[in-house]
Amino acid sequence: MSLFLNLSSQGLINGAVYALIAIGLAMVFGLLRILHIAHAGLFALGGYLGLVITNATGSFALGLVLSMALVAVCGVLMYRLCYEPILDQPPYVPLIASVGMFLAIEELLRLVFGDHGLSYHVPPLAGAIEVGSMRIKYAEIAVVVMACVLLGGLALFATRTRIGMAWRATVSEPRMAASCGVSLRQVRYLNFAIGSAFAAAAGVMVGVLNNLVEPSMGAVPSYKALAIIVLGGLGNMGGTLVAALLLGLVEAFGATYLSNYLDRDSIAFAAMLCVLLIRPEGLFSGPARATGGLAKTLQLKGAAKWVLTKRPS
Amino acid sequence: MSPRSTPRFVRLAAGLLCGLALVGGALAQTTTKIGFQAGLTGPAAADGNAGLAAAKLAVEQINGAGGLNGKKLELVVYDDQGKPEQAVPIANRMVGDGVRAVVSAGFSGPSRAAAPVFQKAKIPYIASIAFAPEITRTGNYMFRVTSVGEVQGRAAAKLVGEVLRKKRTVLLTIKTDFGKTLAAGFKEAAPKFGVQLLKEYEYAPSDRQFGPLIASIKADNPEVIYATGFYFTAGPLVAQLRSAGITADVVGAESLSSQQYIDIAGQAAEGTVITNVIDWGSQLPEIADFLKAYEKATNSKAEAAATSTHAAVTTLAAAIRKARSDEPEKIRAALETTEVMTAIGRISFNKLHEVKKSFPLSIVRNGKWERFGVIDDAALLAPPEQ
Amino acid sequence: MGAYETSILTLVAINVILALSLNLISGLCGQVSLGHAAFFGVGAYATALLAKAGFGLWLTLPLALLAAGVFGLVVGFCSLRVRDDFLAIATMAAGFLFLGVVRTSDALGGELGISQIPETALGDFFPYFVVLCAVAAGLFCAWVKKSWLGYAFEAVAADEIAARSLGIDTPRFKLAAFALGTALAGVAGCLYAYYLGTVGAEAFGFPVSVMILAMVVIGGMGSIWGCVLAATLLTLAPEWFRFINDYKLLVFGLLLFMVMRFVPGGLFPLVLRQAARLRGGRAA
Repeated sequence: MSLFLNLSSQGLINGAVYALIAIGLAMVFGLLRILHIAHAGLFALGGYLGLVITNATGSFALGLVLSMALVAVCGVLMYRLCYEPILDQPPYVPLIASVGMFLAIEELLRLVFGDHGLSYHVPPLAGAIEVGSMRIKYAEIAVVVMACVLLGGLALFATRTRIGMAWRATVSEPRMAASCGVSLRQVRYLNFAIGSAFAAAAGVMVGVLNNLVEPSMGAVPSYKALAIIVLGGLGNMGGTLVAALLLGLVEAFGATYLSNYLDRDSIAFAAMLCVLLIRPEGLFSGPARATGGLAKTLQLKGAAKWVLTKRPS
Repeated sequence: MSPRSTPRFVRLAAGLLCGLALVGGALAQTTTKIGFQAGLTGPAAADGNAGLAAAKLAVEQINGAGGLNGKKLELVVYDDQGKPEQAVPIANRMVGDGVRAVVSAGFSGPSRAAAPVFQKAKIPYIASIAFAPEITRTGNYMFRVTSVGEVQGRAAAKLVGEVLRKKRTVLLTIKTDFGKTLAAGFKEAAPKFGVQLLKEYEYAPSDRQFGPLIASIKADNPEVIYATGFYFTAGPLVAQLRSAGITADVVGAESLSSQQYIDIAGQAAEGTVITNVIDWGSQLPEIADFLKAYEKATNSKAEAAATSTHAAVTTLAAAIRKARSDEPEKIRAALETTEVMTAIGRISFNKLHEVKKSFPLSIVRNGKWERFGVIDDAALLAPPEQ
Repeated sequence: MGAYETSILTLVAINVILALSLNLISGLCGQVSLGHAAFFGVGAYATALLAKAGFGLWLTLPLALLAAGVFGLVVGFCSLRVRDDFLAIATMAAGFLFLGVVRTSDALGGELGISQIPETALGDFFPYFVVLCAVAAGLFCAWVKKSWLGYAFEAVAADEIAARSLGIDTPRFKLAAFALGTALAGVAGCLYAYYLGTVGAEAFGFPVSVMILAMVVIGGMGSIWGCVLAATLLTLAPEWFRFINDYKLLVFGLLLFMVMRFVPGGLFPLVLRQAARLRGGRAA
């Protein structure tokens, strides 16, 4: 029983990290239908920035916030300089451009910070608490809390503010939104800023959890995030969140029981292919009723449930 | 033209040609070229660059002492990017460059791909960190100064059973050829030392989060965990182990020998014991001087890849000195019978050109690697003969 | 020609075949495949196993072709069910699954891969045989492009719905494209296995799939000479860039990005356009 609980909590924690990364990817895809693979580069960049700033100034909060801000700016720049000029090209063009950028970012990180990777001088959020027979680290709790806060905030923003409404409008009908006076470019800037900031937060937290940032840390999460957004219905925020959590859980149990047949990283894709064969549109592109029921079964409350049942469309 | 006297210009030309040949020959022989293959970019970059720094140190040392047989050593460096398909063209290039022997600080994949090229060209090839068994089996020009995985695993079994005197062990194997051969060696020797294998878990090289694994290990309640892997997997792993409240001893292999492992795992690394190639705290000049010089040159402490590569170059130098020539065939013959003191200790080769050496043990104390002992059982540590 | 030059020539020829094979699927038929390296891998592993079991080149080559083609058909079937956007990710998934299975299966060498693959009976003629295969592949692709098959492929690539309304059985042609392209990739895999003497999982991963797609896209989707040009360039580039060794991958990434940003149609059409402009400038 305690093994089951342990695995579940591990799965949820990993799922929270995946959710933070995948949401940014889903946002970009929903808005522009581009597979933004360079997103993983921003994830790694965020991890490095957070670590370097924390080591230099001694304050983890500063490191986290600055990293998110800086990476948000980088994300916007990436959109402005790289994606905007090629929006009217066939989809494989931004895809390969994105891959090129991802490679370049990885290599820059390796050249600037070294092959070996870096660690925190003083690991932040050290320590753990005992919950029954499990020990949960403060850092792990922080990840889950952060994911809930950020994603809940996003949901509130999307549904309760005017800018959020403009954003949702742009996602569903860009030309209509433009003719209603919404500045497409500003909405897209915002989109990239938020998504990239979330990726940076995920990068910093992964750096804290492992006490290690390496140049190639973006590779594996990027592939999994792609599988997650497919599972979640390509552009559906709530679906992406649930898919991320589910994947975390499936991986946790699968890694323990299926390791003789399948690599842990392949589990994400095996799951995705199975789902696609049965439901080609992804798990969550159906009516809200299904996701509402799912939310109840998972007993999610508050902002998370709201995100699931209120979808931006 | 009279048949007896050759025309003047012919004699002049012949003289010129001979002169040129002599000069050209002399020029061609002022340095002994040693090829150096490593992954300087790509996944093998950390080990490759460490190995390169160590090799350069060795060459400097040797040239500073007057070179070999009157000639200076020259390192001809090529990057295989950690990829087998890059290794073949650069191997061909090295052959074309006229190298007399090659030291490889590359991973198993690229080294394994390059080996047949050098065997065909009859150029001695010394691998310092690649442990794929096929390398030495490729032919008689292949040598290896690092122990194959099975031998390291057996040493670890003795470490657990006799030195630490513990029994209940869990294996955490990294899913690479390295991890699997270590595990195989450990399992083979475990019964001899009364070590009881509870369970074996495998994980992928890209894993950094070991939650599910650790949950299972906690349920097994072992005394020792034999964690194969590299600093970037074992570091997070050990930190997470201790966070979860697991107090079992952690035993590892030389792949954990870098300072980085301690930096990542922090306090959790204290007490980790590994079978190493570096004898920290040794007073022998070959070892102590290298460790000091490496730290001075690179601003970081030496680890296994660098030390083994340094040993490869010094062994090669000893063989060249012994052969009193830099003909590849003579170097090969000399290597077979060379026994030399290097930065990894006293080494020699067996029939299959696998290295025979003892295993210094290291332990983490106060945030540093320190000497813990040595495992010196020649029969147990005998490398494979075929 | 020295040993170094022939080994580079062999590598270039193999990459040319790979680029041409993906061109059939993605360039001509418009199905963006991000897992092409897996079919390359199927051919290579099939050859490795068969060659070590004692079969000669004359048997391993067709069998590798068949194995990759069949695997391609299977993936093609799956691709029929998913939408355009999903296809790229679905093929990527197929690539990862192939690797995942190979890595955990000891029969396929697991993490170590398979090595000591015996040389072909062709001995020193092998590099030239590879070049011959590349030429044959180029001729085959040119023939397909000019045939009715190529015409149908291009129709599917241009507008699937319109093609269907014209009576073109799009699913069948998509499958055909997949089967042909992957079979050709299997040939490349077979030659690669003999060239290198070892096959390991790391040679068939996602980055390799991206590289192959990059070759097709940079050369110009659908253009045969473009593929050849791009494959040659991208294979030789690491050799030429040796002097900036450390920055090689950075340069490659930036290059990919710049070509996509500024010349998304591909380099070869650009060359053609410039040539046409030079020729007929005044007249226009």
